Amino acid sequence: MYSNNEELRMAANMIRKAAREQVAPLAPSIDATGQLNPEVEGLLWDLGLMTVVFPQKYGGMAQHSGTFLCIGVEELARCCASSALMLIIQAVGSFPIIHGARPELLDRLLPRMVENRELAAYLVSEPGAGSDVASIRTTAVKDGDTYVITGTKCFATNGPVASVYSVLARTSNNGRDGLSFFLVERETPGLTIGKIEKKLGQKGSQTSEVHLEEVRVPAGNLLGEENKGFKLAMKDFDMSRPAVAAQALGIAEGAFEQMERYSRERETFGKQLCEHQMIQQILADSATLIEASRGLVYRAAAQYDEGKRNTKLASMAKVFASDAAMKITTDAIQVFGGYGYMQDYPVERMFRDAKLTQIFEGANQIQRLVIAREIRKENSTS
Amino acid sequence: MKHLTEEQKVLLEMVRDVADREIAPRAIELDEKHAFPEHAQKLFAELGLLNPLLPAEQGGTEMDNETFVMILEEIGRVCASTALLLIAQADGMLPIIHGGSPVLKEKFLRRFAGSSTLLTAFAATEPSAGSDLLAMKTRAVKKGDKYVINGQKCFITNGSLADIISLYAYTDPERGPKGMSVFVVEKGTPGLIYGRNEKKMGMRGCVNSQLFFENMEIPAENLIGAEGDGFANLMKALSINRVFCAAQAVGIAQGALERSISHARERVQFGKPIADLAPIQFMIADMATAVEAARLLTREAAQWLDEKDKKGVLLGGMAKTLASDTAMRVTTDAVQILGGAGYMQEYGVERMMRDAKLTQIYTGTNQITRLVTGRTLLRS
Amino acid sequence: MKILVCIKQVPDMEGKFQIDADGIWYSEEDLAWRMNEYDGYAVEQAVRLREQVGAAADLTVLSIGPDRVREAMKKAMAMGCDRGVHIKDNDAFRKDPFEIASLIAAFAGGKGFDVIFTGMQSQDRGSGQVGVLLAEMLGIPAVTTIVHFEFADGTLQVKRELEGGTKSVVRMKTPALVTCQLGLNTPRYPTLPNILQARKKELLSLEPSDLAKTEARLTTEKMYFPEKKGGMVLEGEPDKLADQLLAILREKTLVLR
Repeated sequence: MYSNNEELRMAANMIRKAAREQVAPLAPSIDATGQLNPEVEGLLWDLGLMTVVFPQKYGGMAQHSGTFLCIGVEELARCCASSALMLIIQAVGSFPIIHGARPELLDRLLPRMVENRELAAYLVSEPGAGSDVASIRTTAVKDGDTYVITGTKCFATNGPVASVYSVLARTSNNGRDGLSFFLVERETPGLTIGKIEKKLGQKGSQTSEVHLEEVRVPAGNLLGEENKGFKLAMKDFDMSRPAVAAQALGIAEGAFEQMERYSRERETFGKQLCEHQMIQQILADSATLIEASRGLVYRAAAQYDEGKRNTKLASMAKVFASDAAMKITTDAIQVFGGYGYMQDYPVERMFRDAKLTQIFEGANQIQRLVIAREIRKENSTS
Repeated sequence: MKHLTEEQKVLLEMVRDVADREIAPRAIELDEKHAFPEHAQKLFAELGLLNPLLPAEQGGTEMDNETFVMILEEIGRVCASTALLLIAQADGMLPIIHGGSPVLKEKFLRRFAGSSTLLTAFAATEPSAGSDLLAMKTRAVKKGDKYVINGQKCFITNGSLADIISLYAYTDPERGPKGMSVFVVEKGTPGLIYGRNEKKMGMRGCVNSQLFFENMEIPAENLIGAEGDGFANLMKALSINRVFCAAQAVGIAQGALERSISHARERVQFGKPIADLAPIQFMIADMATAVEAARLLTREAAQWLDEKDKKGVLLGGMAKTLASDTAMRVTTDAVQILGGAGYMQEYGVERMMRDAKLTQIYTGTNQITRLVTGRTLLRS
Repeated sequence: MKILVCIKQVPDMEGKFQIDADGIWYSEEDLAWRMNEYDGYAVEQAVRLREQVGAAADLTVLSIGPDRVREAMKKAMAMGCDRGVHIKDNDAFRKDPFEIASLIAAFAGGKGFDVIFTGMQSQDRGSGQVGVLLAEMLGIPAVTTIVHFEFADGTLQVKRELEGGTKSVVRMKTPALVTCQLGLNTPRYPTLPNILQARKKELLSLEPSDLAKTEARLTTEKMYFPEKKGGMVLEGEPDKLADQLLAILREKTLVLR
């Protein structure tokens, strides 16, 4: 995959080492307190991971940004899925800005974000619109040279801590062809943070409701063309789905590492766990799924980096790697037996973290529909 | 399937009402606070549900396994931790019921009659003896009219709260299985030291303790049966509590299935309820089929156990494997069907997913239950 | 003291109801059955009265219907009734309140019940008449919708719930009948030992023909679900929406005049 690229390989090793030394010891407390550690946040910025997908002149990668994002997410997710989530959300939340904002806006905003180490968030989901993005009801009404935005967004990761929000709102009553993205900054009057959710896992990130009550933004904050927001959201997925798959891959690899090591240490019935054939089955199946996931993740990312349409592979990677992570973490607890169920051991946290990868950035049931549709497109004569 | 008697129907209606009105509303809080279900303990005691297996001779209702299994399903449906209270309570009593002399049974079981709130615990597992119980190290040495016990146990449900504990220890380590014995230990015995209570991923509404025995002395009469009877007693107890675990798992899965169905009917996306979408219909079909199969196998196993037929032991192991794997799969899918909401604590299904995992592990991991089933069938 | 409590077994209200083939009642397919909610309050109060009086009291529970109503009766006996009388009638669902009350009166007449408890109404038919008709037929006073009950020295003192939260206090001498309303008490759960003991209590079975032959005074013509009216979503500016909403409330509903 990227193994023939020296630069990327070195970056991966460096991130893996930093994650192991500086993030892994903090992972349990990050999960227990529900807060990301400021040192970890600082580390992510220092490693350049929070600006990966920014245009190069603002600190992003010139080439291979998609692959590099996946590498960063994967290596962090091995020891702390919540930390890896920060990278994904930063990329997802900034994407509409990067690809839709006018040059003057980019020039004003991105250097400031980099300088102040500001976080981005992505406000799309609503209580009545999850999988069905086209049915969102938050409105953006043009009033002179401003837009007035009103509505409620939910499940917004980084909601309480972000400075800039990419908000998808309805500019005309045309289903999916009536949606537009807007940049809204945190201090804009009318934007309030609602309840902060208590989640099953990936707890070291804050997910909340965001209320927008007649939030006024300059017309220049429109990202991309009016009513073309849905397409921009779909392009965002082409970047983010491989990254979510990479997170799932990292979680699976972290769980695998734990169970493989434990199986060599723990003895039962007179021999090491790994000498029992049933455990060997689990290890073999897990390792195979990980290899297959890795292949899909980095092929999807490479296709993105080449500027080609990668929708099918991105969805395949996301579905496959997240289902694999759920299975592998469930089996990892099993290998640890009773100990695996205790919060002193990391595998139960990985199990809880894995589940989200099957749900967010497009539930796996939706991914399968996307894949089937892409296959049909490929095979129909125009 | 046998038809239920009128008494069973009245009983199950009562249990269902209690589950829905008294237990379900507290389930999320119990889990969040890692709290022991005191409210359920008191309520079950008043209703005569806390010690259903207590023999009639000691003033109990001596319920059959089939009815107990149905009760565990109803309670597991709304709160796995509360169902675990009943299972642990039954487990702690089984060694005495199976192996105790009439005098011993009268001495230690009579106190559980009526509306007693006393608790029991079953103490076999040790740090180096999980799946491999023969590797336990706790040692009981006879000294005059006492046994002196040294060692430790871990992951004991309600260990630090129990009024009596059924404790397994070696009286003669050289003899392997024939050297293990089982004893009754009362709360407050000098030398019985409580270690920590574990913090678990799920089934948090119950206490899971470390126990240490430091030159703990118990009367010799507290030996259940004869020296050397311990391992057979242990195997017999496990063969029955596997079916209870299976029933609990069926309940968990049923609860998750019901939540998924009601959510699918109400949640509108793409202009209609998601219940109208084929992928959801397929998922629900697979989930419901698996739950039904697990339920029937579990009840069948319970019926054979009631007839004291060995077939109950074989089916019980199969039921445990099937029901717990089903609970894990169904709860994971239930979170999926509820989508983002399913991942949030307030909707309750993520708790069911965390609870389900333990059913694949306790009363014998599913790797062990498969080995036992396979070996039984492949023996010539 | 002799006490009687009359109960009805009704479908679980959470069930999926369908109209039966005749179009005059609901179909019994796929329904689960349980004791009428208001009869639960009646049983609980009757049991409390029985406990108050002690050994000198005897409490009978009565129900009319097919064999399945025995389950509801067993629950009542597990809650504390001493004996049961089952009037076995597969056609009970077709009978009107007058016929039902006549059957009960035929059984209870002359037996000297001091206090009779019924629920305020049934959750399915909801006519609220059986208790009052029964009292008339037996020539005893009746007080409906009680939310409080006291007995001392042959006198009942009860509180009735009226409109707007008003309560009225009524005193009467036994023999008397009361119909029970939500708020009277919280029915106890039958305990497991009591459920098992209920097996030993007497449960008499009677045929309606043993009792009374009465003509129905009411016939049910038709039972049907309300027509589903289409809903609508109003969109537009707030002031125009307000006008639209007012017009709808005035013209299409009786909310405004």
